[in-house]
Amino acid sequence: MSLFRSEEDVHAWCEERQRAAGAIFDVATLWRLAAVWYDDRLDLNWKRRTIGERQAILDAVGLSGPFWRLTSS
Amino acid sequence: MRTRAVEVPSSLDAQLRLWIYRHFVEVCRAPSVIEIASRFGITSKEVEEVLGRLEKEADALVLIPGTRNIWMAEPFSAVPTSFVVRSGNRQWWGNCIWDGLAILALLGLDGTVSTACPQSAMPLAVTVADRTLKDVQGVVHIAVPAADWWCDIGFT
Repeated sequence: MSLFRSEEDVHAWCEERQRAAGAIFDVATLWRLAAVWYDDRLDLNWKRRTIGERQAILDAVGLSGPFWRLTSS
Repeated sequence: MRTRAVEVPSSLDAQLRLWIYRHFVEVCRAPSVIEIASRFGITSKEVEEVLGRLEKEADALVLIPGTRNIWMAEPFSAVPTSFVVRSGNRQWWGNCIWDGLAILALLGLDGTVSTACPQSAMPLAVTVADRTLKDVQGVVHIAVPAADWWCDIGFT
């Protein structure tokens, strides 16, 4: 996951590599995601969240749809 | 009659995992196997066994392939990356822009994540203060669908 200057730069980067663009979104959305995704990592008895829990976080910050499904099924 | 809660001692794996994170936070780099062994009073072989379990069983960190050296304890990177996180006089590397911001969020720190646009090479930075974005440049691109993130964690 990278930060690009503009959407135009994303598409140019993808074209040069002959790959489809993935998902493009704003930094504010990423900040909301970043604020919760790892917020339990300093807990002694941390366990990786379940797929359902992780999916709920993505949904809650507005990252939903097929691209954001954590399982292919 | 009330039942007294019994506190179950945390496992060595849990304690070691947390210590690795605290080492990243306080020392700004991953600890070596030798440092971990010294801290916990165990052998290097025992440390390597724990690190292997933390990677393969707990999905708690990523080791540099073919080694027992830490590569990632998400959101921290043990190796230099293009996502430099600065807060005061401390500096870390994030694995990506997501992880860079997550380091500031996890630690509740003001700071800046610096990177460069992969296409234009233009320097870009995102600043956080008081748990709020203050100065934002650019747009985020993730190339890999979520279902495939862990196929190659080094590229998303």
